[in-house]
Amino acid sequence: MAIVKPKKKRCGDMVTGIFINFLLIVVIFVSLYPFWHVVMYSLSDSRAAMSGGLFLWPRQFTLLTYKLMFETTRIFVAFRNSIAKTVIGTIISVVVTVLVAYPLSREELRGRKMIQFLFYFTMLFSGGIIPTYMLIKDLELLDTFWVYVIPGAVNVYNMFILRSAFLMIPRSLPESAMLDGANPIQILCYIILPLSRATIATITLYYVQGNWNSYMDGVLYVNDSKLELLQVYMRRLISQAGAAAALNEAKNLSAASMVTEESTKMTVIAFSIIPVIIVYMFLQKYFMKGVTIGAVKG
Amino acid sequence: MRSREHWTPGKWKRYLRRYWMLYAMLVPGLIYLIVFKYTPMYGVLMAFKDYNGIDKLGEAPWVGLANFERLFTTRAFRRALSNNIIISVAKLLCGFPMPVILALLIDTVSHRGLRKLTQTVVILPSFISWVVIYGLLYAVLSPNVGVVQALLEFFGYQGKIPDILATKETFRTVIVASYVWKEAGPATVVYLAAITGIDQQLYEAAAIDGAGFWRQLWHITLSGLRTTIITLFIIRVGSIMYAGFDQIYAMSNDAVISVADIIDTYVYRIGLTQRNFSLATAAGLFQSAIGMILVMITNYISKKIEPDSGLF
Repeated sequence: MAIVKPKKKRCGDMVTGIFINFLLIVVIFVSLYPFWHVVMYSLSDSRAAMSGGLFLWPRQFTLLTYKLMFETTRIFVAFRNSIAKTVIGTIISVVVTVLVAYPLSREELRGRKMIQFLFYFTMLFSGGIIPTYMLIKDLELLDTFWVYVIPGAVNVYNMFILRSAFLMIPRSLPESAMLDGANPIQILCYIILPLSRATIATITLYYVQGNWNSYMDGVLYVNDSKLELLQVYMRRLISQAGAAAALNEAKNLSAASMVTEESTKMTVIAFSIIPVIIVYMFLQKYFMKGVTIGAVKG
Repeated sequence: MRSREHWTPGKWKRYLRRYWMLYAMLVPGLIYLIVFKYTPMYGVLMAFKDYNGIDKLGEAPWVGLANFERLFTTRAFRRALSNNIIISVAKLLCGFPMPVILALLIDTVSHRGLRKLTQTVVILPSFISWVVIYGLLYAVLSPNVGVVQALLEFFGYQGKIPDILATKETFRTVIVASYVWKEAGPATVVYLAAITGIDQQLYEAAAIDGAGFWRQLWHITLSGLRTTIITLFIIRVGSIMYAGFDQIYAMSNDAVISVADIIDTYVYRIGLTQRNFSLATAAGLFQSAIGMILVMITNYISKKIEPDSGLF
């Protein structure tokens, strides 16, 4: 964000100023506290945590629940599946999206308007849940890993964001490279991609987030527990019976009796949000940028 | 325009020799588009047929609009439709002004650290999945260990709060409130970016003419945000048929189904659980078609009001 020296008239008196600062602090607290609560709860001794209430710090710090969780295998299976989906899905998505966005940004491409409309129309109208399910069944993708990465490969919205970033690059650059004998792929790799690194990072982040958070594809298309996603596993765990089952699965039963179902739930949630928050902290700059370019029409 | 010229086969040959790579690049994306986006559009024919899910779709008998007639006489669908509209409209009414208010608040604060921190923090929840948010809500609202219960007890409240995640009367409020909590961030950042784009001289000029804080807020800041507000509004109204499948599916339970069943969950249930494919497809098609019409209407209206806004 550009540094603008504030010149506009601020709300006059001190009291209002303090009140607004206070409101913002409330907003910050409301946005952050739930995350903090879950992490602190997961680090507390189960019995001490039972009384509930606000958790500013862990009560009787312990890593017992984490130890127990790590003794069950299912969470790792789910974690591995989600990681694999995120890595492979993001690579496929970014590559295909770039390969579509680039030709559509070139005026030389004949039939550009029509192809663009084909993509655009899918944002307006979709076949819906059932026809898509039937298609995936016919393609024999049900209960396979590929159903996680192929059907959602291209996000048309991301494609248009990328295309408008490509259009911002001055046309003289690729043109002069063409005169020097570069082919479109060389132009893409050596000129266009390096110049739009920030937008590529932004859409990559969007794809990572989408893949990591996606939940419905795991529910709709996959029954095989070996392919379960972390989000689906968590949802099951938060429901009534799930946490007890996970505790039973832990090998160390005497330790498991020290841990409540609540603690188990909090630990799994914490375990899943910590990596996301770390990623967010490092990449939030791109996320902010993505949010803003998304609103500018292409 | 190049297309006005006469294209001889020789010209085509030269053109393709030079640019065939551009078309080659499009191949994976186009195959994807045709297979995964357009083939399901052919599949919507199921809505006009009596399809059992086993034979070929082409061979199933046509039934005209019978599925739609059945749909609108089904009480469960009418309930899903009305829940869908209630939830979407509530989300729109509560969720739409929030980012504008937040952006104005953040903009009013002169402390740069606080501004930056608030922006970073409000956007964080939108980064998290609905399943996790459900977990967070559970942690905060559960009557056993939740924060709310403990706070009420601290202030002298004796009883137990009801489990508002599993109570019909409160469930929709939870849906809408958690939606606002999760999704207010990105739009706030968009509005803030639009505010930084407003010409600072306007404020100076207004101040010289004697406009106070509120007048500047109304005549300069808010009118500078007009296009952005309208554009975001179109997007929201256009998606009113989609009340949030992920969210509802992750958060609802049997106790609240009568107030939380939306079109998507209805389609999922009767289509994939009860295997009534034709009826479910009809419901989905109704949803898509109305959604598309809504986008087109709102877009048309917004272009009338503000020629710069609009998505296409």
